[in-house]
Amino acid sequence: MKKLIVAFAILGAAGFGGAWVLSAPQVVSTEALAALTPGDAVNGERLFWAGGCASCHAAPEAKGEDKLVLAGGVRLESPFGTFVAPNISMSESAGIGAWSLPEFVNAMVKGTAPDGANYYPAFPYTSYTHMTLQDVADLFAFMTTLPAVETVPGNHELGFPFNIRRTVGLWKRLYLRPDFAISQPEAGDADPALWERGRYLVEGPGHCAECHTPRGPLGGLETGRWMAGAPNPAGEGRIPDITPSDAGIGGWSVSDIAYYLESGFTPDYDSVGGEMVAVQENMTRLPAQDREAIAVYLKALPPSN
Amino acid sequence: MRKVMLGLVAGAVVLGGPVVSVQAAGDPIAVRKAVMQSVGAAAGLGGGMMKGEIAYTPAAGKAAIASMNAAALSYGDFFPEGSESGGDTTAAAAIWEDRAGFAQELAKFASATGGAMQASGKDGPADLDAFKAAFGPVLQTCKSCHEGFRVKR
Repeated sequence: MKKLIVAFAILGAAGFGGAWVLSAPQVVSTEALAALTPGDAVNGERLFWAGGCASCHAAPEAKGEDKLVLAGGVRLESPFGTFVAPNISMSESAGIGAWSLPEFVNAMVKGTAPDGANYYPAFPYTSYTHMTLQDVADLFAFMTTLPAVETVPGNHELGFPFNIRRTVGLWKRLYLRPDFAISQPEAGDADPALWERGRYLVEGPGHCAECHTPRGPLGGLETGRWMAGAPNPAGEGRIPDITPSDAGIGGWSVSDIAYYLESGFTPDYDSVGGEMVAVQENMTRLPAQDREAIAVYLKALPPSN
Repeated sequence: MRKVMLGLVAGAVVLGGPVVSVQAAGDPIAVRKAVMQSVGAAAGLGGGMMKGEIAYTPAAGKAAIASMNAAALSYGDFFPEGSESGGDTTAAAAIWEDRAGFAQELAKFASATGGAMQASGKDGPADLDAFKAAFGPVLQTCKSCHEGFRVKR
């Protein structure tokens, strides 16, 4: 009996120790960080809109210039609890004004906070991890030009065990992957350079899959049903299928998609609605070629049916 | 025989026509869907002209604007209590939970269409630029309302 207890204790300790090691926060190598050149705020602004930062981090329902005031406070409901977007303005106490560039890079591409804690993947670093580090540095350069605001939004409202941030480290082992979901265009006639730019924007900063791809029981994206539509985490309705299928946007041309992202109108002149309004208003600020690239990538996805 | 057939067809049209519209008139979901279809058609006509896919004429411009205006003034009347669900509606629960917010969106819509009516005068906006200036703000109100008050299924 005593032996059994000892065996259990050893197993338990080993299991816990293994989990502790596996859940350790990840960071970017110092060599990679040292290779970065000073950020370009002009490119950074483009990434700011492509990344939709303001959709969660500006105050709820902010419009126009108010989207540059990153006070936080938007509430994201999920099966795991409610996440409250933090202040990421340049306030040194309430926001990220005291952060260094390496701290910002680790947050964006590794989901690791300056104190080593894991961020919850409601912050879509599993997508941002595909961004080039130089683009992240450029984004940081732009964000340092934005105003400081002292608002402190509330804490996340999560139940056990999701309130233990260390567990997110294990989740990251499964779902924080460096490779793109789609390795090549399905359709042979896609312009390779545009397609690649589109994949970068959609799978990286744009983080489109976070809503448009269904999730498994652990909250990881089901890459086999990439962009095939999913229940709306915010409540009513469904997030649409945006693959080139009958159920999706198979009837849309590349220019239809690009026009939708620019104007907010579908080919049959229905308008964009729901959470996509804020996304479309970000996309309209991108250069036309980026919208075309997104369209080329979407048209070359494997159809959902 | 042919006359009989024609008579039957005519009878079916006379009988069938009113039956459908009576049904719709008693059903706010069907009415508001019909109104929104007319809005969509007007947006398609106006948007097609703005994109250069359809040749612009002042009469067509005015038709698009007038359809929008009629919808803006009547649309809000077809969301009574009890019509929150059924009939495949895509109206969001927020319409009933936030009446004031919905009324504000309808007012924005009506204000844009009222301005466009005024700009179009008797014959419609004279050229495409005048039409764009009048119709553009109307189109902008679509997504402003759809953001909070319409659900995609």
